[in-house]
Parts: sequence; structure tokens; C-alpha cells
Amino acid sequence: MSSAAVPSPVSAGFGLRRALMRHRGALIAAAVLAILLFIVDWISAGPLTYFDVSFLSSGGATSALAAVGQTIVILSGGFDLSAGAVISLVNVVLASSMDPMAPGASILLWTAVGIGVGMAVGAFNGFFIAVLRMQPIVVTLSTMFILQGVTLLVMDKPGGFVSPDLGTFYLGDAITGWLPMPLVVIGVVLLAWFWLKGTRFGTALYAVGSDPDSAAAVGINVVLVRFAVYVIAGGCYGLAGVFISAQTGSADPLVGNPLLLSMFAAVVVGGTRLGGGQGGPVGTVFGAYILMMVVNILLVLNVSAYYSTIAEGTILVLAALAGSLSHASVLAVQLRAARARLAAWRAGILPSQLEPIDRRLKLTGPSQGQRGPASPRPAFRLRNAETLRYALPAYVCLLIIVIVTQVWLGHAILNPGYWNSLLVLSSFLAVLALGQGTVILTGGLDLSVPWTIGISGIILAGMVNGSDAALLYALPVVLVMACAVGFANGFGIAYLGISPIVMTLATNGILQGFALVYSQGTPAGFSSPMLRWFMTARLGFVTPVVLLMVVFVAGAVLLLGRTPFGRRVYGIGNGLRAARLSGIGVERTLILVYMLSAVCAAVVGIMLTGFSGQASLGMGDDYLLPSIAVVVVGGALITGGRGHYLGMLGGVLLLTALQMLLAGTTLPYATRAILYGLVVLSAVMALRERRLQ
Amino acid sequence: MGIGLKVRRLALLAGMAVCASGLSAAEAAEKHKIFLSMSYIGNDWQAEAANMVKAMAAHKSLADKVDLQVQVAGPNAQRQIQQINAMVQSGAEAIVVYPISPTALNQVVKNACDKGVKVFAYDAEITEPCAYNVHIDQLEAGRVTAEWLVKKLNGKGNIIAITGVPGTSVDDQRTKAAKEVFAKYPDIKIVGEAVGMWSQAVARTELSKILATRSWNDINGLWMQVGCFTANSMQLEAGKKASELLPCAGEGSNGGRIQMLPASTEVEGAAPPYAPAGAQRISYASPPYSGALALKLAVEAIEGKDVPKTTILPLPVVTNETIKLCDEGTWAEMKAGCNVFKPSLVSNPGWFASIFSDQTPEIGLNAALVGQPEN
Repeated sequence: MSSAAVPSPVSAGFGLRRALMRHRGALIAAAVLAILLFIVDWISAGPLTYFDVSFLSSGGATSALAAVGQTIVILSGGFDLSAGAVISLVNVVLASSMDPMAPGASILLWTAVGIGVGMAVGAFNGFFIAVLRMQPIVVTLSTMFILQGVTLLVMDKPGGFVSPDLGTFYLGDAITGWLPMPLVVIGVVLLAWFWLKGTRFGTALYAVGSDPDSAAAVGINVVLVRFAVYVIAGGCYGLAGVFISAQTGSADPLVGNPLLLSMFAAVVVGGTRLGGGQGGPVGTVFGAYILMMVVNILLVLNVSAYYSTIAEGTILVLAALAGSLSHASVLAVQLRAARARLAAWRAGILPSQLEPIDRRLKLTGPSQGQRGPASPRPAFRLRNAETLRYALPAYVCLLIIVIVTQVWLGHAILNPGYWNSLLVLSSFLAVLALGQGTVILTGGLDLSVPWTIGISGIILAGMVNGSDAALLYALPVVLVMACAVGFANGFGIAYLGISPIVMTLATNGILQGFALVYSQGTPAGFSSPMLRWFMTARLGFVTPVVLLMVVFVAGAVLLLGRTPFGRRVYGIGNGLRAARLSGIGVERTLILVYMLSAVCAAVVGIMLTGFSGQASLGMGDDYLLPSIAVVVVGGALITGGRGHYLGMLGGVLLLTALQMLLAGTTLPYATRAILYGLVVLSAVMALRERRLQ
Repeated sequence: MGIGLKVRRLALLAGMAVCASGLSAAEAAEKHKIFLSMSYIGNDWQAEAANMVKAMAAHKSLADKVDLQVQVAGPNAQRQIQQINAMVQSGAEAIVVYPISPTALNQVVKNACDKGVKVFAYDAEITEPCAYNVHIDQLEAGRVTAEWLVKKLNGKGNIIAITGVPGTSVDDQRTKAAKEVFAKYPDIKIVGEAVGMWSQAVARTELSKILATRSWNDINGLWMQVGCFTANSMQLEAGKKASELLPCAGEGSNGGRIQMLPASTEVEGAAPPYAPAGAQRISYASPPYSGALALKLAVEAIEGKDVPKTTILPLPVVTNETIKLCDEGTWAEMKAGCNVFKPSLVSNPGWFASIFSDQTPEIGLNAALVGQPEN
């Protein structure tokens, strides 16, 4: 965007090239989609007919519409995890309020209702994010839990009725035999976007996404823009909810949840940069259809069910790679750098080949060790003011939750069993928090956690099969495998320049496929007695794993706070370029960070296997979103650079204590979900930025 | 247009490994093209059901008639809609489907029916009237297990309920029916309730949370959709003797059934907690053979036989009185009444043991384990 803002006299040809460059993401996505369409046409029996196009267009429309909303949020530098939940909510609201006795329904009215519900949720998100300046990821995560609860209150099982009129309208033809309605709906949304983009608001949106401080400095009302972004995005999810209602003719309270992760994939495949400021919804629409076409291709090729997630993951990576092929891409830069290094090596002028002499500058002045009496060490409270400010709220909330548990359920504060359970149940997330937290500190995100946990547990249980002696070789094998997984993630991100979300999402799918192939669908084997003892026995009042946790926490704090590795991690998170210029081996550090995350996930897989006595497919699925939530609740910044492991640990303890409190009650699940969301939301309220900097 | 043509084209053009199925176009033309659209394959039940469907298709009575292709939709209903559409497009005669949602697929299923495709849903239900459904009566499952537990407790006591996946019809019906039974006995109190997601691992986490503020001694019985094996293991870890295990109404996992055998039983490959303990149990299940039966019925329907729209499977119930160890796990042996398998054959205690049906002599233990039909 910055280059576009510099006025310079350019020839028409150069202008065209620049326009192509600016829309490269969308253009490449369109090209990939065209190739996929061609492949499907080529390998399926007959030529693609209008009917094929029509049903393909309706198949991808829901995710395309929702992903457009997500794109706008991401362009503004935000993140929205509540999108899937909004779709479910709109679905049940429509289906429970339409009257089956009066099948005729006003399309305009119900579409407005759906969009309205979405915008209301968007306003809720927007209020907390824009006005109270809270982190989008944790606000929308809370909203997601609250909405899931509300959805189940509206309708606790699939059913309801959506007028067929909606289906006839949204799935029909705009021009019979030529233009299916879903494409028109998407077209209208994109036209609205183009109009919006041309207004002052559109410019402000990109500006806020590129650099909020500069945007505020030139007089843009950042609060208003952010608020509006979430409302607009909510409207898009609402429309997606209306569309899926029309498509299914009924409601299912779980229909929207699985759409969330693929939505991010669609945004990234469509060429929008996570973090904001670059890209746009047009590419996203292509991205959504690319992901959908994969289903058809797998069907036509008759890829075995076990391999389908591997195939999808591979396609995702290839699409992302294709989107980044250019002179300026990370891969190209790395290749040029490698060539330069090779040439230097041939010429014998690589730094490592030169004579080792001390080239450091001779600086005068007191060195670090000899602090004069004139500059006394500031008080602990002052030195750690920032850490305390961001880490304390989690502990304060934890205290409140424990007191509430004592008052409501009894048997808490003075019951050693309560504290032991709290620590054992926290241990899984505490380990994950180090891995995920370190990744987040560098500004990334590791979505491959669930199946790294799963495959580690499955391989371990299969190798151990009840024998303690087998642990001796099974543990190293699993940990080495985890290192390889982390290396692959880190390599893809650092050297191939694939966005962390796409790379780790793809890895997750590939690992899922491997786990299925390895276990043939039913994981064999079970934990050895010693591992089970470690996770479930009692030594006096404590389970052995609690003792390990003490060591682990100390190690984690030292690793992030007192080692060069830790300082590099914070350096990268605070500014990639600055880190590179100060001589940090960014690529090497990133690879180590993702390896750390994978190893932490593998350790959790091993611990879970010991805890449950066996491994199961999907055992890690419940740990992805919590692993991100605890890091943020603990005061870390999702964009990287800020956070302390002790804060994350506070987040872990808080969320676990909260779940224990809710599990002890007999409240219905829907109410529990809403309470959970509200508590998380209020816990992070204390973390909000006091002023816009 | 047949898959044969596609496969041949692929083989000619790309020589891809996809054609390993080795069908010649002529053979395929005579076979019925049937698709299996599975949901999520990330759990034991789904994998077992898929194995049994594959075994059924490979059995000699069907192998010459059926060309089966398996696809996975994941947990995403939107995707299953897309997938079923694509299956209809590529010329399916029948589609056997594990429906992710009982309602979301209605339109696409109706569309398929209109094109003459037979759609068979197994385990869960599709509410569209033109679909065939093969499943158990979930209300009965909830009622029978709750009544057993009430009887065991003589109508009095504190119980913990672990439910399934919230928002699904199956969970809703089972839980509602059970709670109706409990409501008739004012001395039965549900003191703790948690969402177990039909997973042993989740059941353990949730029980640990509940037991943080409660002791096993305050609880008299357990009603769980999945998790009795885990609950029994946890009681043993907490120092209870096998004879003191609480009565537990729950799932049909092999681990849970092995625990039901009298504690003195010698079983090959058993190691605690996956070992006989004389646990008081009622074990029921949504049987994983339903997909295989659906496939068999689908072939009958294609061949013009009259198949009822709804097949309600008998609820498989095993109690301490009826538990019996299988030797090899052949269909004939199960027909004679055995219903639990040795850990040396089934190393995964979470594996579902309710695989016997009168109507499916084609498949036995090997079908469920590795997809091999009976002879």
C-alpha cells in the first residue's frame, strides 16, 4: 500500500504492471480456481454444464460470504473467531421464528433479520474491541462461547423450519440457464465492498490495518473505523447464516462451528495478509471456492478417506506457495541469499572463513557488571511493572473464582484434593502455553497443536502397549518426531514464507491423515503402568506430575526471560526487521520456536495418554482454542512481542478453575457456555490498553 | 456416466495410482455404484463403522455387485451437502451416509431422491421423508439404561450424568428420556452433570473436575453416554476395591465389558484397568454395524426389493447376567451369545463391542477390526 501512495509520473505500461502487482493475490487465486475447474472438467465424465456451475456456486457461497466478512476484519488488523457461531445463531433464529403453517415468507424481511442479528453481534464485538480497546482474538473467542450458549438456548437440537421460498430465491437462477443466484448474491456483496472501498471509510480501513498509529495521526477516527468493521463483518456472517438456512431448509445449532478454520484458510489463499492492510474480499471469494473445489477433486480422483486430509493440507500449502511466487517473495529472497552465500564461500569471503579477530567496537563507559552507586537498581515493582500489570489480572480473577467455588460448592480452599486436581488438569494447558505462547510472542500462531497431540499419543500408546521398558525408546521416538513436525512448520514459515496460520493448518491436516493411516482408524495399545502412575497416582496429596510442573514452570520462565533464545523471541515479536538488522538469525530462531511448540504438544499427547490410559483420535481437538485463549488471558499480545510465561500460567489456572467451578454445578450446558464467555471477557477487561498509543 | 470411464481416462492420461482398484470399465459397468459419505473419521466408532461397511462391500455375496467409494466430509455439514451433490453428479445409484446433521441435508437428499438415487442414513437420522434410515431408538436407549440404574439403586441415591455432544438429536433424546425416568423418583438426585462429547478422554477430564469438589463416597451411581470404563478405572485408582465399584449405566466399549466379567475370570492379554473387575454395569450402544446393514439394504433397494424407509435396530444391551467372552469373534460365535472380546485381540479398550446383528452374517470381529468379511 505504501508504494501506491507515492505519486510518481509513470507510463501506462508501468501502471498496468503495478495494478497487476497490487491485485496479485486475487489474480493468482482466480488462476488457481480456473485451473482446478479445468481439472475437474477434464477428469469428470462429461463437460461442465450449467447445472454443475450452479451447484458449485451454491456449495461455496456460505463460506465465501462469511469469509468476505472475515477478510474485512483482517484488513483492519483484527481477527474474528465468532464468525461460525454467528452463522449457527442466525440459522436457529430464522428456523425457530418462521411459522411452518404459513410457508410463504418475505425474503427481504428474513434476510434483514439475519443480517440484523449478525450486525448486533458485530456491534457487541466492536464495542469491546474498538471502544474498550481489548484484543480482538479474546473478545471474539468469548463471544463465540456466549453465542454457542445462546444458540442452544434458542434451539437445543436440530429441527425447525425455514420457508422454501428462501431456498427457491437464494438457490435459484437469476437468469435461467445463465446465471445462478448465489453468484449474484456474492456479486452484490462485492459491489457493495467496491463502493465502500472508494469512500473515505475504505481508505481509513486500509490505513488502520496498515498502521493504526499513523492513521490516528492523520486524523482518522480509529475507534469508529474498527467498530464499523466488526458491524459490517457481522452483517456478512448474518447473510451467510441466511444463505445456509435457505440451503438446508431447517436449523442445526452446530452448523456454523466447523466453518471457522476453513474461513481463515480461504482468506489467506485469497491473498489477504493476516495482520492487515493488504488484500481484499475478491481474492477471498476465489479462495473459498478453491477450498470447496478440493472436495470435488478428491471425489473424482477417489482418494481414500484416510488420505483426504493429507491431500487437502498439501493443496493448501501449494496454493499458498503459488500465491507468493514473485521476485520479492520470501522464498525468492532466501534462494538469492543462498546463492550469494555459495558464491561467497567459493570466493572464501564468508565470515566463518575469515580469520577470527575481534572486530567489536571499543566502547568506553561503564560495562553492565559495574553499576555505579549513582544508578541503583530500581525496585522490583518498578522493574517488572509491565509484566505485573498484564499478568496480575489473571491471578486476581483466579482468586475470585476459587472463593466463589468455596462459597458455592464448598470443599475447595481447604481441600488439598481440589488444589491437586486444579494443578493436574492445568498441567496440559500449562505445557501447551509455553509452546503456543512462544509462537505467539514471535507474532505467529500454531494451529497444528491438535493433531501433534493426537499423533504423539497414538504412536506412544502403540509402541508402549503397556510396557514400562518400552517407554525408554518410545519417548525419544515421539519427541524426535515432534521435532521433525516443528521443523517442517518452521521451515515452511521462515524459508518458504508461508503464513503461520496456513502452514500449521496444513500440517494439522497432514498429521491427521498420518494418524489415521498409522492407526488404521482405531488406535491400538495403551499407556504403561508407570506413565499412568505419573499422571494419576497420589504421593500424599500430590500427583507426581505436579512436581514436574514446578520444574517445568521454572524452566519455562528461565527460557523466555534469561536466555539469548528468549530475548531473540521477544526481538522478533517486537519487530522482524529490527531483529534481523540487529543480527538475530530470524529463520533459525523461528524454526526453533515451532519445534518448541511441537515438542510441547507432543509432551501433552504423552501426558494425556498417561492420564486417560489410552490414546484416541481427536484427543487434541479440545486444546487448540484454549491454548490460544490462556496465552492472551495471561496478558500476551496476539501480535507478538509482549507477554510473560507466569501470566500465561495464571491464564491456565484461571480457565481451569472456572471450568471446575462450572462442572461442579448442575447448570445446563448452554448457561455454562455463556458464563464461561462472560468471565473470560471480564477477566481481560482489566488488560485493556488504557490509552491509544 | 460411470466411474469406469473416469478411471480409465486417468489411467491413460496420468497413470496415477488411483486406479489401483484395478477395475476394468466393463466390470464396473455391471456393478452398482455406491458411495459412502462419512462424517468425521477422528474417532473409534466412525472408523469401526467404516471398516464394517468396507467388509460388507468386500464380502463374496456383494463383491461382484458393488463398486463402493468412501469419502469423508469431516464435521462440516456444508461440506457433506457439497459431497452428496458431487456424488449424485458422478452417477451414484445409492449413497450411504452418516448424516452430520439430521436436517441440514434434507434439500440435497431430496434432490438426490428426485434423480432416483437411494439415500441410506445410518446411526443418525435424516428427517427428509424420501431417505431410508437405519438406527436404534435413542429414546429407548436413554430410558432402558436409566431404569436399570434406578433399579440398582433401589430408587434412591446421588448420581452423576455425563452426556454426549450438546446440540445433537441423539444426545437430546437419550438425555431427555433418561431424565424423565429419574424425575419419577424424587430420591434420585443428579448432583453433577457434564458434557462428555462421547469420548473416554473427555469423560475423564470432566469427572476429574466434578470430583475436585466431591468425593466418590458422596456418589451412588453413574449414568453416562460414554465413560463407564474410565469411571471404573478412576475409582480403582482412587483406592476402591473392585467389589465397591459404583453401578454404571453406559456405553458398549470393549474395555467396559471386560470389566463386567467376574473378577476371577482368566482373560488373555488383560492388564488393569483393562481387566475383569466384576463391575456392575448395563452396557448399551449405537451399534457400528448399522452402516454395513445400510449398504446391504441399499443393494436390495437397487435390485428392486421392498425396503422399509425406517429400520429400527434392536437396542444391544448387555448386563452382568448376559456378559460372555468370545473366543475368536466370528459371527457364528456371536450368534451363540458372546459379546465381549479378549484384550489380546482388541488392544484398544475404547473400541465398540456391539458388532453383532442377526441380519449381517457377512461380518464379524475381523470386519470391525480390519475390514475383512467372514467367509
